[in-house]
Amino acid sequence: MADLPSGFWSGWIIVLTLVSLAGVAWLSISIYFSKDAETQADHEPVWDTDLKEGNNAPPMWWFWMLFAAMIFSLIYLMFFPGLGSYSGLLNWSQGSRVADSYANYEATFADSRQVISDASLEELQNDLDLMATAERIFTRECSPCHGPDGRGQAAMFPNLHDIDWQWGGTPEQIEQSIRQGRNAIMISWQQMLGNDLDAVTEYVSLLSEGNNQSHAGKAGYDQNCVVCHGPTGDGNQLLGAPRLNDDTWLYGGDIDSIRMSLTNGRFGVMPAFDQRLDDVQIKLLVALLAR
Amino acid sequence: MSGLSLHKKIEENAGLLIFGILFVSAIGGLVQILPILNQDSLSTATENTRVYSAVELTGRDIYIREGCSVCHSQQVRPLIAEVERYGAYSRAGEFVYDRPFLWGSKRTGPDLHRVGGKFSDDWHRIHLIDPRSVVEASIMPAYPWLADRDASDTGNISAKLSALRILGHPYSDEDIDNADADLQGIKEIDALIAYLQMLGTGYSEGDSS
Ligand code: HEC
Ligand code: HEC
Ligand code: HEC
Repeated sequence: MADLPSGFWSGWIIVLTLVSLAGVAWLSISIYFSKDAETQADHEPVWDTDLKEGNNAPPMWWFWMLFAAMIFSLIYLMFFPGLGSYSGLLNWSQGSRVADSYANYEATFADSRQVISDASLEELQNDLDLMATAERIFTRECSPCHGPDGRGQAAMFPNLHDIDWQWGGTPEQIEQSIRQGRNAIMISWQQMLGNDLDAVTEYVSLLSEGNNQSHAGKAGYDQNCVVCHGPTGDGNQLLGAPRLNDDTWLYGGDIDSIRMSLTNGRFGVMPAFDQRLDDVQIKLLVALLAR
Repeated sequence: MSGLSLHKKIEENAGLLIFGILFVSAIGGLVQILPILNQDSLSTATENTRVYSAVELTGRDIYIREGCSVCHSQQVRPLIAEVERYGAYSRAGEFVYDRPFLWGSKRTGPDLHRVGGKFSDDWHRIHLIDPRSVVEASIMPAYPWLADRDASDTGNISAKLSALRILGHPYSDEDIDNADADLQGIKEIDALIAYLQMLGTGYSEGDSS
């Protein structure tokens, strides 16, 4: 993956770099150690027949600084990539540095990660330190949507600490929610329900109270909504269809919000974290949420 | 000849002095810049990198207009801390269709190069209109007007695509003909979100390069 220059341009870089270095070396050495350094005056430009600038020799420590810099460049160019396609004695690259960091990380944390992999969810849940770690992961990855304490926000991102699970609250189901993400699909019912929309809206808002058998919206509900939300509004975790007969609402339980859900449809998206988090991190999150 | 006599010659001859200054300052560029301009591997797109669609390109222009790059960089550096936080570090080949690059140099907010797919469109919409409604302590400014303005008023999109085609971006005649129609009926915020959602999707772990 080394992206070093090759062919003609490699030679071009090597020659220019080394020639410049040699040029600077020659220039500084010849100025500081020239045999006729004492007769500096002879080398001074003379303007208008007798006007001289009166140059002083630069101080010696300047030379030593320059000299040290040149030695440093040579050593640097020997060990690190810099001379065209030559990758240096250390074979260092930015990509290999990341790989090394990860190898180092694996080596340092392999044991504690193994402990987490082997532990049961209960053991993890009882370990306050690990739960604090899980909360940090949650804050970083999940809180922009689910809120800082995971209690949901913006009438769009669900509370993860209640007993009401849209997609299921078993560890396996939670893990799937995190790994694969969730795409809820409920289309708009405006067309289908037509004039019944208001009646069905009201019926839904009354589902939690039972005793609504003679309601005008029941027919519309039974015809269109039962497949997903169930005859009594219990919902269906396989489809992510939420329970409608309780007080917990994702998008709001007042008449206006329910009407909005039916008019516009709802398409909640939970992104997949399979790629962003590793197995141990996901396990910790599952333990945190399944508490 | 010693450095001292060379010094005398150069100081007495203004033309030589000017040439000398130009030559010495050019060396850095000759070593650092010229070879890179000729290094094909750096200007070859990674496998999944594609040109911006008309909508994404408009979103990108809005991103530039609103100064998002003042607070957000678009380059994940090859360091473990960054890879852990943002995702795979940025590859040169992912930026071949960026004119100009939006790498940025200041991170008041997080890096955005791998933000594509990290959030849902809905989240971006809420967050852009009022960041504080989802991230309590956010100091990012709100951009409510993006939801009111038509994306098609942002500029002549087909002319932009044609200009980019001259620069070698592979847009087809069809892309250019359809560009105006693609922007009909959507707001600026939709275009910006489309752009954010495709950021950093040109590379996935395991691709070559
Ligand atoms: C882009 C915003 C966003 C982010 C980031 C996000 N989620 Fe979600 N999540 C959602 C939405 C929206 C839903 C509800 C989907 C729906 O409407 O059915 C959801 C649903 C869930 C569910 C299912 C809830 C249920 O009732 O069944 C779980 C579990 C979950 N998220 C966990 C997490 C975890 C853990 C993280 C962090 C790793 C996370 N989410 C990050 C938006 C997000
Ligand atoms: C294809 C299955 C399906 C059908 C049929 C369906 N829904 Fe839904 N419904 C869903 C899903 C999935 C969600 C969750 C959407 C989300 O999370 O974004 C939902 C959400 C809702 C909500 C919002 C709940 C909340 O917590 O805010 C209401 C209200 C609702 N549906 C009512 C209805 C009514 C009334 C009908 C019949 C006219 C109906 N649904 C038919 C699948 C369905
Ligand atoms: C004043 C600086 C500032 C400007 C300008 C700014 N942002 Fe932000 N942005 C932030 C900060 C701080 C955060 C972190 C807090 C948050 O998520 O709101 C952030 C977060 C974000 C995030 C979430 C990133 C993540 O991974 O969590 C996105 C996406 C984003 N900004 C997009 C934009 C866009 C698009 C613009 C231009 C329209 C913009 N920002 C302009 C400061 C800024």
